[in-house]
Amino acid sequence: MMKNTAASGVWVVIAAYNESQALGRVLAGLAGLPYCILVVDDGSSDPTAEIAARGGAEVVRHPINLGQGAALQTGIDYALMRGATHVVTFDADGQHRPEDIAALLAALRAHHAEFALGSRFRGAAPDLPPLRRLMLRAATAFTRLTTGLDVTDAHNGLRAMTRRGAGRIRLRQNRMAHASEILHQIGVSGLAYVEVPVTIRYSRYSLAKGQRASEFVTILLDLFARRLNP
Amino acid sequence: MTAQLLLSFLLGAILIYAFAERRRSPVVGALALVAAAAGLYFVWVPTHATSLAELAGVGRGVDLIIYIWVVISLLVMLNLHLKLRSQTEAMTGLARAFAIGEALEQDQVATRTSPHTVRMAPRTKRAESGSSKAAAAAIGTSANDSATNK
Repeated sequence: MMKNTAASGVWVVIAAYNESQALGRVLAGLAGLPYCILVVDDGSSDPTAEIAARGGAEVVRHPINLGQGAALQTGIDYALMRGATHVVTFDADGQHRPEDIAALLAALRAHHAEFALGSRFRGAAPDLPPLRRLMLRAATAFTRLTTGLDVTDAHNGLRAMTRRGAGRIRLRQNRMAHASEILHQIGVSGLAYVEVPVTIRYSRYSLAKGQRASEFVTILLDLFARRLNP
Repeated sequence: MTAQLLLSFLLGAILIYAFAERRRSPVVGALALVAAAAGLYFVWVPTHATSLAELAGVGRGVDLIIYIWVVISLLVMLNLHLKLRSQTEAMTGLARAFAIGEALEQDQVATRTSPHTVRMAPRTKRAESGSSKAAAAAIGTSANDSATNK
């Protein structure tokens, strides 16, 4: 498939680690949209990179597995190097809807914001299990407390940012704590942000790939370590 | 006496480690230095440890030394964690530079060889090109249900 690199300055960054099962469908959903698709293969041991290339995406391959935060930062850096005007982060497990990207970009323009953050709690997440809903609410409360940002969904991987906004993001949390770190850096930057309702489609696959309760403890430890070594 | 020698050896090692670390982590180094020195002193003058322990409400001098030991261990662990973290960051930077360099190289090769791919404009010009307008035109216009924050 031909790479869609000349269509627009909007780069959709997908961090993928062993996502060969879902990535093909995700890329098929994005095909034909006027965005440059970039898959950052985070040292997968399965054919994620090959599937990404076949699906028409640009591929950047980490030589080793570093974590989703590191993969997103690599994608942001690469997109900016290639002249991106906007960067969108999009999950590889199929839980995001391609049409929500347009809503995020439109919100950036309409509100002259530098960041548009997807929120499932302003939008919809019909199959969100109660325990996960509770964990996400707790994580959001923690993030609101520590960053001062008025957000309703702290761990939503669907976001859009302008080139200016993307240039202010410098993720140091390689693993899952990057979601809180992005919000922290948005807060520190003082740049305008907007929350946009999005729909998250949960499947058995995406739930299995998602965060578990034990990982929230790890995230809290990572964030605590960041405070010790800022 | 054997226990005292063994403890002295271990605390001496910590002392040397803390002294060597004082430049890299001044706070951790200084705290470990003081704690190890105090530990050494009390190993050889246990009566003072007992007096101090009674003063602190700990009970026995040996308990106080154990507590000091625990504190030293935690400080060393914290120091190691911070060091590991900085090494991970360095490794991430290295892996990222490698990955991006390789992708840019492959893209240039593909641009030279593929009859389908549009040749890329120089990066500075690309950034300033009309791509933002094209993207803006391509995206939807509805944002009625959004909320702005600053």
